[in-house]
Order: sequence, then structure tokens, then C-alpha cells
Amino acid sequence: MTDPVAWLILLPLVWATGAFVLGPGRGARLAIGALLVQCALALQLAVEVLAYGGRTHPVGGWGAPLGIDLAADGLSAVMLLLAQALALPLAVYARAYFAENAPTVRYFWPLAGFLLAGINALFLAADLFNLYVTLELVGLAAVGLVAAGGTARQVAAALRYLFAALAGSLLYLLGVALIYGAYGTVSLETLAPLVDARAPAAVWIAGGLMLAGLMLKTAIFPFHYWLPPAHGGAPAPVSALLSALVVKASFYLILRLSLDVFAPLAAAAATVLGLLGAAAIVWGSWQALRTDHIKMLVAWSTVAQLGYLFLVFPLLAPDGLALQAGGMQAIAHGLAKAAMFAAAGVLMLATGRDTLVGLAGVAGRVPLTLFAFGLAGVTLMGLPPSGGFLAKWLLIEAALTHGQWGWVAVVIGGGLLAAAYVFRVLRQAFLLAPADSRFHPVPRSMEWTAFVLAAASVLLGLRGVELMALLARGAA
Amino acid sequence: MIPLLKRVAVILAAASFAGALVVAMLDLPAPTVHLPAAVEANMAASGVAHPVTAVLLNFRGYDTLLEVGVLLLALLGVLAVTGVRAAPRAVAPAEPAKRMLARLLAPLMMLVAVYLLWAGAIQPGGAFQAGAVLAAAAVLLHLTGILPGWGAPGPRLRVSLAAGFLIFLAVAGALLARGALLAYPPAQAGMLILLIEAGLMVSLGLILAGLFLLLSRDSGDEA
Repeated sequence: MTDPVAWLILLPLVWATGAFVLGPGRGARLAIGALLVQCALALQLAVEVLAYGGRTHPVGGWGAPLGIDLAADGLSAVMLLLAQALALPLAVYARAYFAENAPTVRYFWPLAGFLLAGINALFLAADLFNLYVTLELVGLAAVGLVAAGGTARQVAAALRYLFAALAGSLLYLLGVALIYGAYGTVSLETLAPLVDARAPAAVWIAGGLMLAGLMLKTAIFPFHYWLPPAHGGAPAPVSALLSALVVKASFYLILRLSLDVFAPLAAAAATVLGLLGAAAIVWGSWQALRTDHIKMLVAWSTVAQLGYLFLVFPLLAPDGLALQAGGMQAIAHGLAKAAMFAAAGVLMLATGRDTLVGLAGVAGRVPLTLFAFGLAGVTLMGLPPSGGFLAKWLLIEAALTHGQWGWVAVVIGGGLLAAAYVFRVLRQAFLLAPADSRFHPVPRSMEWTAFVLAAASVLLGLRGVELMALLARGAA
Repeated sequence: MIPLLKRVAVILAAASFAGALVVAMLDLPAPTVHLPAAVEANMAASGVAHPVTAVLLNFRGYDTLLEVGVLLLALLGVLAVTGVRAAPRAVAPAEPAKRMLARLLAPLMMLVAVYLLWAGAIQPGGAFQAGAVLAAAAVLLHLTGILPGWGAPGPRLRVSLAAGFLIFLAVAGALLARGALLAYPPAQAGMLILLIEAGLMVSLGLILAGLFLLLSRDSGDEA
């Protein structure tokens, strides 16, 4: 009755639908209450996986390959924990944000609930077709959230995002169809022993199509074109959810498939993925250094930080170092980026402007928020003791172990670039405010949630041992 | 106008990709796993007599549950974008003959929908087809000026839109007590599937109709 695996999917579906029935702009309290339960469920699952190892839940009682299995191992437990831990503070933040900004996004709560249900279902799925359905849930909900602001610019960004997401889904689906044609099953567990390096050409094509589709959804360079307008233009709580969580979902899937079913084929693409990651770090950081808008800066920083996740692929090895590095980077960046977008939302509310120039003087008015932004910046730069530091340390260690020195230079260079764009914001914030500037008061709950997320991203480095142990369970 | 060179390049790339796909498909070995046999072997425990319905609602019912969520989500997306605009203007009534035809056809289409739902247990059919027929009836009534387009849906309509999904969720959750999500007891499987499908027929019909009726207001009055 209390199997957290099933409830982590059912519960957000129930509150999303409930919020829809309640009507536009309602459902915040329902969502926050349910998210508290979801946090407890994710924690319970993590503890159980740590103690007893992974487990499966045969939906319908049939078992794969006839039915659909849900599977939880260390990697999925960590990602589920991250998703609930991000969603709860962001829900508190969103409630205050939308109360302040009139109900601009009328159906935020149901859309957010479906998004979270899709993400949880994706982390638990163990079936290629079921994964496609969860990708659709996540993609449609995310597009809806971007569009729901209602301005022409937001709808245009959403449409561009929709085309990218749909193209990605269709490429993935074509791959699934080819796999089903070759093996007659879509269950990961059944497929794993069947796929090897001598697989027929159709399987190689399928792997390539699925990888391309998922890369489009993850917005890795050069597929990043849709991300900055979509993430930079949406309301702050939406940007935070998308940048911190949604792009990680398709990354998780690439990682999961290349560790598991496609492991025999994955080596062929690993170096290319690493090089794209390096290019993303340089290009994203460069654009973040050039933009004049605070949320675009944070969005371009996401393009850069996603690059680190792809450095993992050429370093994947049985020692599990690279997997731990990828997991830590996903968590650290998730927390830091949620904090940064939350802080950016507060700064924009306080100053009434969205440009870097408009930030002059915020240091004296919303110091807690600026501190949160700085702390999140510490994680992105990778300074100790932050989670970002731990992730980069693990990456460097993995690169050195395998004698691949080039990646070390990329990791260190990327940290310096991150420092440069974070200081662009901080420097501006400490300038004196022009005499005619006016500041609007901002709800305390928004400032505190941004701070809590940022503090968590820094303190993560001190409590990383349990998470790393959990990730080590995920190498299975 | 796209330059000729670019067009030729795109056509060549698409053609060679299609060629590679065809070659790869012709090269496929016989599938290792033969699922139709497994479906056949478990039909007796599925609660229905038609293999497609058995796969959709029982063996892979979880996929269907999430897909219904996707449909509701699509409607939410439309609502989120269009909901802020003014209430719809009624459509101009069509000629009497068309209206007469629509009034005659609509009840028949509802009958057909219920039949399709019932037939789904033993032959092709089921909630999705039934819902599509219901939605088509609504579109017909709208086009002949009998049914106005939708503005922002009120509480009763929202409940009806969500009811099918909520029933499905409730059944899935209740069956967790038996150990797994959507694990129907074989004896009651037929009843539960019919209950789920009946709810889905109504809600899917409304959702599909909504995708049309919510957007129809744009015709004319904003041009």
C-alpha cells in the first residue's frame, strides 16, 4: 500500500488534476501539501535503495516484457530526491510570486503537477515506449508553462520549444519502433542482454536517432538554440523548474540508456558527446558574458553547465567515478540554478527591470537575495565546499585516472568563465543606485526560498557521502 | 524562397536517410521476443476478449493512463494560452436543412459512441474511438450553430473533463492494495475496464471537443 514507487507517480497526477478542477490560479496549498508527502516518499525510497538495493514494481502484476515494469535504483533514487527537493521550495516561491504578479499564469499548478508526474515517471520507467510517454508528458507540460505567461514573446518562445521537443520525441519514437522491430520487445531489462556490438544496422540507426532526439531535448550545443528564449522569457518559477529539472530528465535518459541497453554501442559516440559538452561550456559562458538581461545570463549559464554533464560520457568506466560526477553535477546545478532563477525573479520584482544595468543598488535593498545569487554562483564556479566543487573534483579525478588530460583543462577553464559572468551581476549590484530609482518590496518567502536552495547547493559538498553511496548503487 | 542548392541538399539528405532506413529494415532478423504469443496466453485473465483492448487497458494499461494524462494536458495547454481572451461569440446559425440534419445525427452518434465502447471488449473499438465520435457530434452541432464555442470552462465542465482520468487514477490507486499499480483481479477485470472506459469515453469526448470549441472562437472575430 505504501510503495513509494507507485505513489511518486500517482500523487502528482492526482494533485495536478485536482488543481485543474479547482480552477484557474488555485491549487497552491494542495500542491505544497502533496509535495511534502512526495519529499517523504522520495526519502523513504532512497533509504530503502541504499539499504536493500534496487527494486522493480511490475505494473498490472504481469511483469516485463508483457507488462510494464517500474524500476528504482541508486541513480533514479537520487534524481527523484532532487526533483522533489527542488519542487517543494519552488512551489512555496511560486505561490508568493503569482500572488504578487496577479495570476499571469492561470493554470500554473496543474501544469506543474503534470510536469512533476512526468519527471517522476521518467526516472522510474524501465520500458522504452513508456519512456516515450513520459517524455511527452514532460515536454507538453513544459511548453504549456512557457506559453502560459501569454505575452507574444513567450508564446513565440514556447512554439519554438514545442517544435524542438516534438522533433526530439519523434526521433526517439522512430528509434523505439526500430528496436521493437529488431527484438520484439521494448523492456529495458529484456533488451539489455540482447543488444551487443554485432547488432543489426537498424539498431545502430535506432540508437543514433534516440540519442539525437534526446540531445535536442537536453539542449546540448549545438541544439541549444531554443533554450535561452524559452528559459529566459518564462516567469521566474517556471524558468527555475525548466532549467533546474526538465533538461536533466532527458540527460538522465541518455545516461541511463548508455549505461544499460546501449552500453555496447555507446562507446562510439562518447568522445563526440564530450567534445560537444566542451563546446557548450565555452559557447554558453561566452554568451552569458555578452547578454544585457539578467535572466538571459542565467539561461545561457544553463547551456554552459549542461556541457559538464556531457563530459561524463567519455569517462564512463566500471569504477563509477564519472557516474558519480554526473549525478553530483546534476544535483548541484539543479539546486544552484533553481536558486539563481528564483533570485533573479526577486531582483526583477524589486527593481521592476530585467537588465543588468537596472541592478545597481540592489545590494542594499535585497541583500539576502543577492547573497543567494552569490552562493549559487559559488556552486557554478565550483569553489569548495560546494556541490559544484565536488562534481568537478570527481570529473577531474576521473579524467586523470584515464589519462585524458584535455578534459581537465575544460573543467578548470569553464569554472573561470562562470566566475566572470557571475561577477558581472555582483559588481553591478554593489554600485550605487541612481537617485531616481525605486524599489518595490518583495515577499520574504520568495527571498528565503532562493536562499535555502542556494545554501543547499553549497552545503551539499559537505554531505555528499550518502549521495555518492547512493549513486554507486546506480552503476548496476 | 529557399535557395535551390539548399533544397537539393535537404532532399538528398532526406532521401539517403530514407534509403538507409529501408535497407536496415530489409536486413532485420526475426524478433527474439514474440509478444503476441504472450498476449494470447494471458487473454483469459485479461477480462476482455479483444487483444488490442487487453493490451491497452490491461497489459500496458499504465501507458494508457499516462496517455490520457497527455490528452488532458494538451487541453490545459490550449486553455493556458487562450483562456485570457474574451468570451466566444455564438456562431451564425446554418441553413434549416443542415440544422435539422445535425439534430437528427447527434443522438445517433451518441448511440454509436456507446456501442463502440461496448463492442471494444470483443472487437475493435473502445473508449478512444467512442470519445472521438462524441467529439465529432459536438463539432457538428457547433458548426451548424446549435452549440456555441467555449469560453473559460466552468466548475461543472472542469469536473467532467477530469472525471475519466480521476476514475482511472482511483482504480489504479485502489488496486495498489493488491500489490501493484493496476493489478486487476481477473474476476473483476472486465467490470473495472468497462468502468474506466465509460469514464474515459465521456471525458475524452469532451477533451477532444474542447480542443475544437476552445479555439473555434478565433474564426472571424479577430481577423
